Amino acid sequence: MNYQIVMLLGQDGVTNGAIYALLALSILLVFTVTRILLIPQGEFVSFAALCMAAMEGGKPLYIGWLLLALSLAALALEAKERYQANGKLQLKGGDFAFTLYSLAACALLATAPLGTAGKPIQALLTLGLIVPLGPLMYRVFFQAIAAGHSLVLLIVSIAVHVALVGIGLLMFGAEGARIQPFSEGSIQLGGANINSQTLWVVAVSLILIVALYFFFEKTLYGKALRATAVNRLGAELVGISPELAGKASFSLAALIGALSGILIAPITTIYFDSGFVISLKGFVGSIIGGLASYPVAAIGALGIGLAEAFSTFWASSYKEVIVFTLILPFLLWRSLAHGGVEEEE
Amino acid sequence: MKPANLSPKTLSILCVGLAIALGPIVLPEYQVSQVNNIGIFALVTLGLILLTGVAGMTSFGQAAFVGISAYTTGYLATSEQLPDWLGWAGASPWAALAIGLLLTLAVATLLGGLTLKLSGHYLPLGTIAWGLSLYYLFGTLEFLGGHTGISGIPPLQLFGLTLDQGYELYYLIWALVLVAVIVTLNLLDSREGRAIRALRGGQLMAESMGVNTYRSKLLAFLVAATFAAIAGWLYAYTQRFVAPAPFSLQSGIDYMFMALIGGVGQVWGALLGAASVTFLKQWLQDLLPHLLGKSGNYESIVFGLLIVWLMQKVPGGIWSWLSPKLPDWKIKKPAAPGAESGEKLVRRPQPQAGEVILDVRKVTRRFGGLVANNDLSLSVKAGEILAVIGPNGAGKSTLFNQLSCVDTPTSGEIHFRGVQVNGRNARQIAGQGLSRTFQHVKLLPTMTVLENVAIGAHLRGECGFISAALRLDRKDEAKLLQEARYQLERVGLGNYLHVEAGSLALGQQRILEIARALCADPCLLLLDEPAAGLRHMEKQALADLLRKLRAEGMAVLLVEHDMDFVMGLVDRVFVMEFGQRIAEGLPEEIQKNPAVLEAYLGGAE
Amino acid sequence: MFAQRLVGSLLVGSLFLSCAHAQVKIGVVTSATGPIALVGIPQKNTVPLMPAKAGGEAIQYIALDDGSDPTASVSAFKKLISEEKVDAIIGPSGSPNAMGVIQFAAEAGVPMLAPVGTAAVVLPMTEQKKWVFKTTQNDGLIASALIEHMAKTGIKTVGFIGTGDPYGDNWHKVFSELAAKKNIKVVAAERFQRQDTSLTAQSLKILAANPDAVLIAAPGSSSVMPQTTLFDQGYKGKFYQTHGAALPDFLKLGGKKVEGTILAASLMLVLDQVPDSNISKKVASDYVKAYEKANGSKPATFGANVYDAGLLLEKAIPVALKKGKPGTPAFRSALRDALEQIRELPATQGVYTMSPSDHSGFDERGRELITVANGQWTLVK
Repeated sequence: MNYQIVMLLGQDGVTNGAIYALLALSILLVFTVTRILLIPQGEFVSFAALCMAAMEGGKPLYIGWLLLALSLAALALEAKERYQANGKLQLKGGDFAFTLYSLAACALLATAPLGTAGKPIQALLTLGLIVPLGPLMYRVFFQAIAAGHSLVLLIVSIAVHVALVGIGLLMFGAEGARIQPFSEGSIQLGGANINSQTLWVVAVSLILIVALYFFFEKTLYGKALRATAVNRLGAELVGISPELAGKASFSLAALIGALSGILIAPITTIYFDSGFVISLKGFVGSIIGGLASYPVAAIGALGIGLAEAFSTFWASSYKEVIVFTLILPFLLWRSLAHGGVEEEE
Repeated sequence: MKPANLSPKTLSILCVGLAIALGPIVLPEYQVSQVNNIGIFALVTLGLILLTGVAGMTSFGQAAFVGISAYTTGYLATSEQLPDWLGWAGASPWAALAIGLLLTLAVATLLGGLTLKLSGHYLPLGTIAWGLSLYYLFGTLEFLGGHTGISGIPPLQLFGLTLDQGYELYYLIWALVLVAVIVTLNLLDSREGRAIRALRGGQLMAESMGVNTYRSKLLAFLVAATFAAIAGWLYAYTQRFVAPAPFSLQSGIDYMFMALIGGVGQVWGALLGAASVTFLKQWLQDLLPHLLGKSGNYESIVFGLLIVWLMQKVPGGIWSWLSPKLPDWKIKKPAAPGAESGEKLVRRPQPQAGEVILDVRKVTRRFGGLVANNDLSLSVKAGEILAVIGPNGAGKSTLFNQLSCVDTPTSGEIHFRGVQVNGRNARQIAGQGLSRTFQHVKLLPTMTVLENVAIGAHLRGECGFISAALRLDRKDEAKLLQEARYQLERVGLGNYLHVEAGSLALGQQRILEIARALCADPCLLLLDEPAAGLRHMEKQALADLLRKLRAEGMAVLLVEHDMDFVMGLVDRVFVMEFGQRIAEGLPEEIQKNPAVLEAYLGGAE
Repeated sequence: MFAQRLVGSLLVGSLFLSCAHAQVKIGVVTSATGPIALVGIPQKNTVPLMPAKAGGEAIQYIALDDGSDPTASVSAFKKLISEEKVDAIIGPSGSPNAMGVIQFAAEAGVPMLAPVGTAAVVLPMTEQKKWVFKTTQNDGLIASALIEHMAKTGIKTVGFIGTGDPYGDNWHKVFSELAAKKNIKVVAAERFQRQDTSLTAQSLKILAANPDAVLIAAPGSSSVMPQTTLFDQGYKGKFYQTHGAALPDFLKLGGKKVEGTILAASLMLVLDQVPDSNISKKVASDYVKAYEKANGSKPATFGANVYDAGLLLEKAIPVALKKGKPGTPAFRSALRDALEQIRELPATQGVYTMSPSDHSGFDERGRELITVANGQWTLVK
């Protein structure tokens, strides 16, 4: 193993690690706010990548229908809950926002020539299609059981993941897809070729991480959101109800997932079921962060990316075994650092 | 045994056993093989019910355990060139089972040892990680056939019989499932079982009663792994082929679905869950193409959505929804075994009256800059009741925690019966004869009053898992339950033995905690606000009980707000404010002490 | 008996199953969902295109999905055998799945036509495997074509990248054995998972070994990434692909980077370049047309493998009908014998000539050497 190989593997590890770090942060965010381990996090990634690839290839997009179905389900739930609470059907204009949005999206997807639109427009459209899935997902699947036992939340989360993978297979087919790179070419750095797509991934990840940091550390809204987990009353004082906090964190998760998907789609082939494996490594990162610390989780995820790259080089058929066994020492460390008996909820 | 005397447990086992025996006679061949699969799934799910449902530990790694044992069986049964030292194992399914079990348990001990101390969400994520890791390992190891797996496993031969037909395996599988169910039911209804049941939501309490919760967790984990290993052995002989896919994370998740759908924490839920998931998948496969057309695959989508719906409607699983609708067998519940006749538990040598039981010397506890307890010294003698009082925030709870070894003093010493105990943990001090109650009642609401109290006597029994599973613990168990019953009658809850503890009034729950503490045969009782929430008559009864205990030589330290209750009862009073001692003495003196009056009334200025 | 049927019907909801009066029942088990859905979906889509009649009897196909899970494949087989009383089964899609069901098909005496890659389902021939017929080219057949080409063009060292699944496992084994005979050395062997996001490390290892050529053994579109990664890292040697890459998506995903790739596959990829004299051409183009009409896209070869199974049965059923009635053991046994006696049957993948020792039945006509020129599949002349 020479210097150049180390550089290349390092670059590879950092690229993947940056994506894992983003997902780890997103998982952590959703977990601390809602106590939900967001297993479907990966589906945002694969859906966004496949959605954009389909646009690029001029293939029909069915994701508008998913959006519409979810928003109608959300509307129906809203109507039902209002009816049960007040005894009459009361729906305000705002309740229809998602439905109208989805209808507009369906119409746009059916008519507009998306294949010829520029890359930025395609990317924006993809975000516009994927991000609303977040809050809708929370509304339809989780809001009713938000106060439930964490095991129930976990199972629902997995069940949603199972259903979404099935939907993904239906919408995008079994074959993989990738999109054209944002930019061709590469730059020389320290004797190694740095792929320009790598720079995109790392740059956007860094920007997002910094933006998230500012949002959560410096703005009232962000602090309140983060505080919801420990102090619901405090959050409600600044106008964040648990529902709003849930939807907001799911929106952010969908945004982060979709961005990750768009970022990696040019460097790798994404399949309908790729998301889970990618987000799983984000989960490993968030475990290393103790499901609490954002910076440690990000560093942990980056470490997973690097470990993956180097262990693949070392023994490619044992890569998954090595990466997922790596978590055990961390668990040991956590369990040794862990003091007396802790009460479960 | 007359039919009327059948316990609900025996009755349900008989019913299920009968239904199972009829299976192959009424079912077509294919359904027999489906029911065989259900049996294997149920075995794994049963382990999960114990692990996740009862003990509150979520594991997605059970499928990997099934895999270890299935692969061991497959490897031993098909390898022509076994190493010499293993040669004897190739021919015998029993040897395969034994080696599979040992291997599974070894891996489970390692993984359990690493992960079980973790709380909450580490465990599920940790199990996902090693579940995946083992799955990929199965696929990568050349001698296990790689991703193509091991095929050509010969049919199972036991006692000279060849079991290669569905209905032959059927009886073997379901006999093992029933044995596992009985073992689980026996376990849950025992000393070890109560400790396991306390893991979910009562770990702090269990530790204070002397339960080694880590050990209980590991026990539940190993029992679940054992069931998974047996299931793996059966799997290998039923499918006669082993490949990595059935032991993937996906299957681990399916087992968890089965456990939750069936009814988490319900032993029969394992059978129900395994059956529902298997048939649900089958129905979906048969029905959906007719409903939604043959072009797409909607099974997994509808399956996922159905589970979401089910979890939203009945988070407790089908069994919890079904069981209230079944005929109520509880009426026939027999009286506690050995109610009157059994021998009594041995009591520890009681201290001499006047012996100093608890001696607190210059204890200081700091939290960062805050001094919660400053240089406190006090002592309690056998046959004496000491009350610690003080306004809110005086540091009483901090002191209480240190005395019960939940917390450790920053400086100073605590001596219990002449032995320094600060730095020990709650479990150790419980073993030495200190027993406590909690300010916020900690009991297991779904267990009966009697069972809750019996946890207090945990350290006075010695029967372990094996004797519990085989029902060899009945004598020991009868003694424990009799003690629990005696203490409950003593505190006036004798009419509530078999009701769920959660249904008691708050005051009664506090009294229950005292009975539980007494069950441990303590020489020092630490009571945290025992009179809170009690009605007048109940307080009188409690005071009488404490007086009686004092007369028997018990040392009692209580933290209390209720002055009337304290002043009429206790021997001495220790008053705190802002972490300091401000007065100590006889109740009458304290009532006149200006510093105390200042502390309690001064706020009114 | 009645009680058994009734309980059975209630349990499986088979009351809903159509009760068309078909005489010959054929079960089809595919992995239309799960990790190998990309193999199973074209197979499932092929079922409606298969022969509807043979020897004057209607054929009813009963398709089941095993979700890529071997346990489910076994269940599906048992269901088809004991509930539906099928006369033959096509499937399953995956190699491990197929290995797991052989004994149950054999014990029930039901011929099984496996559209899977691994030769292990028919070789070495055993009492049980007598019931299995394989409708894909043995990996060795394809590999020998590639190796011949390698030997001819003077390639001495080869780097191997394969998926960490049965497909990659088997190719690695077969290729290493055959290559050794021609003095071609496999100097690096790397593995990857279909869903891997990066193959940098594997391709660096290959680069470090600096082989004359690289063979990529991966099913479906996963065959693209190793090649593009190596290309990006400046590998200048020759690329070889297996028939796993033989699908339109390969060209779309690979673009300019897969230009010049050599692969051996059935003639389906290069139909218009094959001379009309090739007896498989008409069969294959009919199938491709029908598939495109029904599904709007060209089929991957996996689908054609199932189609060929249908053709084999179409040929064998009339023979077997003389020996017994469908639904009887005599018929199934005769069907097996008839399948084994098929000679020179043109199908989409090549020409089948079965024998008691060869249940795959392909010869060199079952493979074409194909390259990518100007972004199109081109027959190597």
